[in-house]
Amino acid sequence: MRLSLRGQFDARSGGRPVALLIGILVVAPPVLAVLGLEYYTIVLCQALILGILATSADIAWGSTGIFTLGQAVFFGIGGYVVGELAKNLGVTDVVLASIIGLAAGALAGALVGLFLFVGSRVGELYVGLVTLALAFGMERLATGWDLIGSYNGIPGVPGPTLGPIVLEYGWPQFYVLLAIFTLVMLGAYRLNRSQFGLVMRAVRDDGERAEFLGYRRTTVQITVFTITSALAGMAGGLYALEQGFVSPSLLGTTLSTQVLLWVVLGGRGTLVGPLLGLGLVWVVGGRIAEITPQLWPIILGALLLGTILFLPGGLIGRRVVKRSPRVAVAAAATSGAGSGSGAGSSEASHD
Amino acid sequence: MTERAAVPAPVLEARDIRKVFGTLVALDGAGVSVGAGEIVGLIGPNGSGKSTLLHVISGRTSATGGAVLLGGRDVTHAKPAERIRAGLSIKFQLARVYLDQTVADNLLLAVQSRTGLGSLILSRTRAAAQAPIDELLAQFHLTEQRDMLARELSHGEQQWLEIAMALAVEPSMLLLDEPTAGMSHEERAATGERIRAARARCGVLIVEHDLDFIRGLCDRITVLHQGKIIATGTPAEIEADPRVQEVYLTRV
Repeated sequence: MRLSLRGQFDARSGGRPVALLIGILVVAPPVLAVLGLEYYTIVLCQALILGILATSADIAWGSTGIFTLGQAVFFGIGGYVVGELAKNLGVTDVVLASIIGLAAGALAGALVGLFLFVGSRVGELYVGLVTLALAFGMERLATGWDLIGSYNGIPGVPGPTLGPIVLEYGWPQFYVLLAIFTLVMLGAYRLNRSQFGLVMRAVRDDGERAEFLGYRRTTVQITVFTITSALAGMAGGLYALEQGFVSPSLLGTTLSTQVLLWVVLGGRGTLVGPLLGLGLVWVVGGRIAEITPQLWPIILGALLLGTILFLPGGLIGRRVVKRSPRVAVAAAATSGAGSGSGAGSSEASHD
Repeated sequence: MTERAAVPAPVLEARDIRKVFGTLVALDGAGVSVGAGEIVGLIGPNGSGKSTLLHVISGRTSATGGAVLLGGRDVTHAKPAERIRAGLSIKFQLARVYLDQTVADNLLLAVQSRTGLGSLILSRTRAAAQAPIDELLAQFHLTEQRDMLARELSHGEQQWLEIAMALAVEPSMLLLDEPTAGMSHEERAATGERIRAARARCGVLIVEHDLDFIRGLCDRITVLHQGKIIATGTPAEIEADPRVQEVYLTRV
């Protein structure tokens, strides 16, 4: 197994690096406190939430090949639903908010998924275009809709609670979010390694072939789209409580394309890659942006271009496996024997 | 339906198939039928419509007219996945195995293809799938390559893996599109044996250029020429047919 997977790194191998990352995060707050960098614990809270969003995009696009340019739509829907409920009905419990965010995202995802995948055989590009249009439209809708605060969004969303406990900024929020994040990553890891995960990769790599094995491609795609939209919705709900506000930009194209950037940069379909991409672009890049706001978009663009040109699999993505010498020898032997046996054996023409 | 007790219905029946691409008539009333445990060869010169007929049967191409029946059930308008679930299976001309998955995972994909979504997500049938996978690996001499990526296999081994996958879905009807394309003489002989072994489980339809290969293997041969069936019979009858000699045999 170890030998045959050389040069390969996909979501099934992403478990250990993610576990390591979570291990580092567990000790991060005290270390940051000692270094006098408590502020970064709050930055990491946001990163954990966006990490769930990044993972949802990685499962959809990276593992299943659903090129969605609207992952933020479901993040935003989760945010608005939880934001309204928290502000008007006092629903601030993180567990309850997570479940509500999941449900809102799943419902919206299932509806959009039905529209996207049922009926016609649509290409990857079509899915990208429709989800992009959706993100654009939803942001416009939220901006113009007075009932949900139009361009102001929902300010003053109360902070998160856990049962009777009010979760303060800093490490209380951090550890609760880390627990939720860990559960999500565990679920994503299990999903990728499950029998269904294999079907997801089969649909990604050759969807028509999967149909000729008896898989209903549309059903697989809608299922994955619903699951990943649910995760995005959950992240959005947590974001509303953690940030204390919801704005139309959460639904839009900017965040949607940002998510893809994390995935591309880190390596799609690798589980840990998008988290590293997020860390690099959002946490490190965010600081650079504060120092040189003019230069940062240029650096970001160059980084993305460089990744696509020189590291198409991302920072830790799948490298192209070269044909091993054994295969080359076997192929040569096969073609040699074939031409020697006469009677038009290997001259198969295409009908 | 009432006569089924006396004469078993063919596993596959393609009736009066027409397929028109623009102004080109690719198939003009062609048909083929395969009974349980029967091996039928489909031959014809290049452009005769063999592959088109095969893909009208598989569902990759839709028919302009005619009907495709699987075990008596009309699947003319069914999607490929539904035809596979109704008992059909296909091995493509160029092996389309999942190159970045292991040999065992390729077979698992085929073995588990009718498992429900919930069971797949919870990996409930993985353990039960190991026995059929091991059996297929042994049968196709791929046991040692079990944990290799499919892209590391030789060309012949990839073809075998694809045939094994086609059998792993436990079909009642197996379509083989040029199963020996690019194989050595020895590999072809071994492939023939495996196809013979498969007939115990299902009907087989083989599209093949190589008449030597098909002659010793098939119970019946159907010859296509310009979208029409010009002859159907035993290999000996086909070889003796003057029309077949005219359009096909002399050209090889």
